[in-house]
Amino acid sequence: MSTAERPPFTLDVLRWRPWLETVDDVGPTPEQAAVVDQVAPSPESRPYYATLAHDLPALRERTALFNAIMYGPRGARRADRELASTAASLVNGCVYCTSVHARRYLELTKDSAVVGRLLDEGVGTDLGERERAVVDYAVKLTDDPAGVTAADLAPLRRAGFSDLEILDITHATAMFAWANRLMQTLGEGEPAGDPPAQGG
Amino acid sequence: MANTTEPAPPADAGIPDPIDRLAGIAPDSPLARLRAQRPEVARHAAGSYLALLEPDDPGGVSRREREAIALRVAVLTPSPSIAERHRARLRALGADDVALAAIEQFPHGAALAPREAAILRHTDRLTLEPGAATPAQIAELKVAGLGPRDIVTIAQLIAYLSFEARVLAGLRLLAEEA
Repeated sequence: MSTAERPPFTLDVLRWRPWLETVDDVGPTPEQAAVVDQVAPSPESRPYYATLAHDLPALRERTALFNAIMYGPRGARRADRELASTAASLVNGCVYCTSVHARRYLELTKDSAVVGRLLDEGVGTDLGERERAVVDYAVKLTDDPAGVTAADLAPLRRAGFSDLEILDITHATAMFAWANRLMQTLGEGEPAGDPPAQGG
Repeated sequence: MANTTEPAPPADAGIPDPIDRLAGIAPDSPLARLRAQRPEVARHAAGSYLALLEPDDPGGVSRREREAIALRVAVLTPSPSIAERHRARLRALGADDVALAAIEQFPHGAALAPREAAILRHTDRLTLEPGAATPAQIAELKVAGLGPRDIVTIAQLIAYLSFEARVLAGLRLLAEEA
């Protein structure tokens, strides 16, 4: 979470390179191979899932949880969930997660100005009221979960967020306390080739 | 529980869901009804807790090591309710006050075996500075005798607890606001 040396955040498609042998490297069990085939959304991210497949029960639960949090029906707009995920990833310095979820946010909102400023200037950049409320909550929950208070929900309430929407934003932020800790500590993102990544 | 000779931690009485239990969410309360609108999230958060803290096959990371990691993440985050849960579970596995203090005050408490110290150093780094990780940290764990599966399990466990602490914080705000 050091701000001294800000990582080079990018919207470019990155490839994830593992720092330890994956199940693909050592020869997966049929079960591991089947799960990785099923859950890896793109060639660029396959090594990540092939790393996590060493602990298959944990990967299965985490994948189902991730999908429920990011794609569950009703509740918070998908763009707001992606914005919270992006904010958490920026705070934690996760270049790979930021590139995937800033791209998703851009696809959903078409707001390239906001995405560009978030990546260039960070979470303190100028934002509209709604985006400011989501980002500020996600940043504080990421940095200091013990320090958040009900007052931190006030901007979200002023922007019209319901209990369910706040729960969804909480889940999306918390999921990236998780994802950032895997993506950045078991390997790292690096420039990839041409084909666009679909996941992460 | 197949591959361990350690006694299982005590079954937690009352509320079965780990997050409901720590958040003090009673059945049919407003927060229970809110969480029920995201049944798959609750189900797989609880499933992750079980996969990482009560695994059928703990492999190379023992139940006691998992509990020590959990306590350490909770102390650093901090999350008092998560910390208390894992103090109790460690005591149930036979840890005494000195053993608990060695984890909570690491690296200043009683000296730990090299493997346990390596695991806690890694826990501290992933909890507090996930963006500063390097491949050398993985090498350090391998030197301490941990294999690829163990390293993945430890990262998942630290990451799950970091997630759980933030979900609990969000639920606390919704309760405070009400």
